[in-house]
Amino acid sequence: MTDTYVGKADAANAMEDLQVVGTGAPRIDGLDKVTGAAEYVDDIDFGPALLHASVVESPHAHARIVRIDTTRAEAEPGVVKVVTGADFPFTFGLYMQDRHVFAMDRVRFVGEQVAAVIARNARIAKRAASLVEVEYEVLDPILDPLGAISEGTELIHPDLGSYPRVPWFLPQAGTNISHWRKTRRGDLEAGFAEADVILEDTYTVPRYAHCAIEPHVVVGRLDQAGRLTLWTASQSPYTQRAVFAEALAPLGFSHQDIRVITPYVGGGFGGKAGVSMEIIGAALATAVKGRPVKVRWTREQEFYNTYQRQGVVANLKVGARRDGTITALEHTLYWDAGAYVEYGANVVNAAGLSATGPYRVPAVKIDSLCIYTNLPPGGPYRGFGYSEFHFGLESHMTRLAQRLGIDPVEFRRINAIAEGDTLAYGEPMNPSGLREAIDRTAAAIDWGTPAASDDPNVEIGKGLCLFWKAPAMPPNASSASFLKFNEDGSINITVSGMELGQGYLTVMAQVASEVLSVPTAKIRVETPDTDRNPYEWQTVASHVTWSCGNAVAAAAKEARDKIYQVVHDAHGYEEDSLYLEDEKVKCDTDPDFELPLADFVIDGIEMSDGTYRGGPIVGSGKFMPEFTSARSDPETSQGGHPNVHYTVGAAGVVVEVDRETGKIRVRKAALAADVGRAINPTLIEGQITGGLLQGLATVLYEDMRFDEQGRLLNPTFTDYKIPTSKDVPDEIVPIIIEVPQPDGPFGARGVGEHTMIAAAPVIADAVADAVGVRLTDMPITAERVALAILEANGR
Amino acid sequence: MAISHDFAYLRPGDLDEALAMLDENPGARVLAGGTDLVPWMRDDAVFPDAVVDIKQIEGLADIVVADGTLRIGSLVTFSDLIRSDVVATEVPLLAEAAATVASVGVRNRATLAGNLCSAVPSCDGGPALLVYDAVVQVTGPDGPREAPVSEWFLGPREAACGPGEIATGVTIPIPGAHGGCYVKLSRYRGEDLAQAGVAVLALPEHRYRVAFGAVGPTPFRAPTIETHLEGRAIEDSLDGLDELVDEVISPISDVRATKEYRAHMCRVMLRRGLAAAEARLTGGGPPYGKQVI
Amino acid sequence: MRIDVTVNGEVWNLEVEPAEVLLDVLREKAGVKSPKIGCERGDCGSCTILYDGHTIRSCLVLAVEADGHEVVTLEGIGGEGLTMLQRTMVEMSSFQCGFCAPGIVLAAHELLQEDPNPSRHDVEEAISGNLCRCTGYIPIVDAVLEAARIERGAP
Repeated sequence: MTDTYVGKADAANAMEDLQVVGTGAPRIDGLDKVTGAAEYVDDIDFGPALLHASVVESPHAHARIVRIDTTRAEAEPGVVKVVTGADFPFTFGLYMQDRHVFAMDRVRFVGEQVAAVIARNARIAKRAASLVEVEYEVLDPILDPLGAISEGTELIHPDLGSYPRVPWFLPQAGTNISHWRKTRRGDLEAGFAEADVILEDTYTVPRYAHCAIEPHVVVGRLDQAGRLTLWTASQSPYTQRAVFAEALAPLGFSHQDIRVITPYVGGGFGGKAGVSMEIIGAALATAVKGRPVKVRWTREQEFYNTYQRQGVVANLKVGARRDGTITALEHTLYWDAGAYVEYGANVVNAAGLSATGPYRVPAVKIDSLCIYTNLPPGGPYRGFGYSEFHFGLESHMTRLAQRLGIDPVEFRRINAIAEGDTLAYGEPMNPSGLREAIDRTAAAIDWGTPAASDDPNVEIGKGLCLFWKAPAMPPNASSASFLKFNEDGSINITVSGMELGQGYLTVMAQVASEVLSVPTAKIRVETPDTDRNPYEWQTVASHVTWSCGNAVAAAAKEARDKIYQVVHDAHGYEEDSLYLEDEKVKCDTDPDFELPLADFVIDGIEMSDGTYRGGPIVGSGKFMPEFTSARSDPETSQGGHPNVHYTVGAAGVVVEVDRETGKIRVRKAALAADVGRAINPTLIEGQITGGLLQGLATVLYEDMRFDEQGRLLNPTFTDYKIPTSKDVPDEIVPIIIEVPQPDGPFGARGVGEHTMIAAAPVIADAVADAVGVRLTDMPITAERVALAILEANGR
Repeated sequence: MAISHDFAYLRPGDLDEALAMLDENPGARVLAGGTDLVPWMRDDAVFPDAVVDIKQIEGLADIVVADGTLRIGSLVTFSDLIRSDVVATEVPLLAEAAATVASVGVRNRATLAGNLCSAVPSCDGGPALLVYDAVVQVTGPDGPREAPVSEWFLGPREAACGPGEIATGVTIPIPGAHGGCYVKLSRYRGEDLAQAGVAVLALPEHRYRVAFGAVGPTPFRAPTIETHLEGRAIEDSLDGLDELVDEVISPISDVRATKEYRAHMCRVMLRRGLAAAEARLTGGGPPYGKQVI
Repeated sequence: MRIDVTVNGEVWNLEVEPAEVLLDVLREKAGVKSPKIGCERGDCGSCTILYDGHTIRSCLVLAVEADGHEVVTLEGIGGEGLTMLQRTMVEMSSFQCGFCAPGIVLAAHELLQEDPNPSRHDVEEAISGNLCRCTGYIPIVDAVLEAARIERGAP
């Protein structure tokens, strides 16, 4: 272990006899959610002043805007205002400012916002929006990433070179390549020369939709005093405030003028990270000062005008020696990043640093190219690039093992990365239980034991794949927490991470509970309001348990120290002799002493002379990794330390495949993840079950279909359907592995995204095992399997 | 998103009043369960100037057996069909098909007659009623008339129900001893539209009825296949069966499936559906409701 | 048009346009927020309500149709307290983001009213029209079966 990734490890915590951490405490938001008390943005009442907006959308994937005529819409009774790009000529973007609030001179995808109608009710707004006339000069749409980078293709963003951006983005001005992450390590040529077997192939992954059941919604209000408040269904209140402040700076706004309030959010999965449609709400509010205005996306808009998971074409070449040792890996990823990449380019970046997978690879060449196309903007989606490249990578590892005549699981044991091994970007790997994950997953699916079906049409197959993922964050992404006691000894904690459903509020309560001995039922953790709750970068990257957990632990410890201080001042006990148990302060040196927290955490401790010591107990805490750096050689990615740590694991499935229909039934799915420390095992099992199904959906059922004009053909739950309760595996086996993360709260690291990453390749492997057809394009639907079997049989 | 256009809402108390309202409002649509009409209005796919809600009309919500005929009123929902003992006993294939429609919350509202009037090519009610030789009961300005289901579907979303007419129900001649099987190809085991549907009825003495859905502009019966199958054990009819399927279906490729897969699956579904229906005729086979694909 | 609709036991006399959908009217004019807007075309089940005792999609019903009918939403099923189903779901941490919960609780409630001893398949069927993206459904189905077991007093 080197000290580079340790941060401020709290070794004492890891050693403690834990009371609350490690238990499956019920969710603290459970009651809100089963009673209807949970309030989401669209549930907040704004009274009769509330206005509704409807957006005028581009019907073309690529066109110049010649003329916009809003006259007829403005004349419609009940319309308050009609706005176009000319009203807000401002750029915005999280990592690169390549977007406008509304399209200005040209549109770049079907559904892009061109204008908006603000009206007294939603019916009027919708009707009037259809009266806005827009004249376009239609251009050829560029829909294919490989076509977009071929010689002579028109530039989707001619001004790419001048867009403000973060230093780790490497746009290629004068091309459609908005970012190119290159990672180089070792001698590639020698590595392939050393290999006994080299396997090369191409894998394709289409676009996917998050499908949070709550659509995006924003309510903006600029009050008469000039204060701009936004209520958003978001994963990122602080990041949104920063993006709004930057975009609206020309109107005189800065951070202090803007307030973002985010109540419960109805699912995110990355889709509500950053700023997408919320910029419209912010801008519109400035146009109708004094009136709140709501923009609520329809399900259709949810599909075509938020972030989509980017498609990718991956060329992969891996060499290995006869003994199974991988010698070299060359991975080129062409990402269909869509019309704007202000967030999506960071997905491309993350993949470009980690597309070796969790393997020890001495010679590496990765090229990850972020390519503009005239499709909806790509962006973050649970897995953040890793789900996408694992499909090809893990399919390939199985095939390479088979080519070598080595059992695919044994091949993975041989090459699995271990603590201290050098990562592709040159830093050492963190502690991990990857080998344990492999062994326990293999045992859960009886790997190596063939299975048969009674049904003559049905074949059984098995697969086992590995996964890894690191949070993709700016090097200084940080978290903070405030904690206060109440008169009855209960606690309020404010943080600005989002409860997306993962159980974050409960986990934060457990962390504080462990430190302060107050049960989670007496701890409220409040959803964000940027005026009141302290800073959090974003709730993405599976990092909040780790990062914000550290901040909450620090706040709790600060409060605990203050408690000890006041008890010392009042009663004279040495602070290091005091401890907390059952909501009381107790003392090692005086077994008779015990002081309930409720007796003094607000009122203080009364002295013999009637005076008091102490006062309200509050704590604050923060966490920022202080060992990361995004500065590296742009040609090799060596020299920096971009990732804090990786969470690793394995997934295995047993499937039934009907040879005639191609239908796949997952009999059993097992997933092992090394979570460092399971603060709440029940919630982790929830992540495994839900994430696995979301991952299985991407491979078994879903994909976004576009026509030749770039129009999305399935923007509804009728035809972009997600699994129902009848489409779950017959059995899911969650396996929790705990090799502590030295700088995590009680040793914890994140696990939210990881549970869906291996689902696609493990199905590809199991289908190949069952019926002998290897599919290299996602999704692997019943239809594709059946047709592939027919083709293999020469029909 | 809201329904943005205005329309009148009319609620007749009886059929005569309903017909008069339709007569006065040529642009009106009949509203029963509304599970198609309401989203169509929201999508601006239809713009009726009035909707005539027939749910107050008495006598349309019953399932009645009389004179060897089962009569299903036009307000009978799919849930009603699933709960009905007489449907389960006399026309079990209809119950099996009804159980594949959408999900409980839709089936509690959506009506069989509405399914027929919407006439989407993938409707699950179509193939089932076709093999039962069902007849749609229609009332209009010229009085009541009967329309065999085989003549009901005119094209996608187009049924033989005139502008001033109301479908009041469906009648089915009770077929007596039979085995049935509705085989629905869908992407999901849960709520989904049919990529293809095959209804098979096996009657005594090796007589069969076969209908398809979602593999043509309308659901349709397949008399050539029925003739091919007649009088022989199924295993003796398998030769040439696939070719006959290919001749009668005209599947398209769309976002739900390619025509190749639809065609392949129609062959598979017919074979498996025949086997199940034949077995059910003699009290064996998979229980109704258990999908054979 | 004026309609009388009973919402969670209370009669509301509301002025509505024919084009207004029951879901929107419940949320905006009766202040009942548990039925959620998820897809507005009957696909997702978030807007599920009990309508004369049976679950329906309130996004597929015109508000005027509800004149004279009885609506019960998640706010109204427990009376003064929680149902056993709700209690079990809290204890078993069944939901994640919770946006689907109002619909799923009602769908499962309807099932348990009709069948106190459902099989796992029955539960899956009953809630199969209610989409959930977070949970993988298993913790929800487990809680429905457990609540039924407790209510039956079965071991």
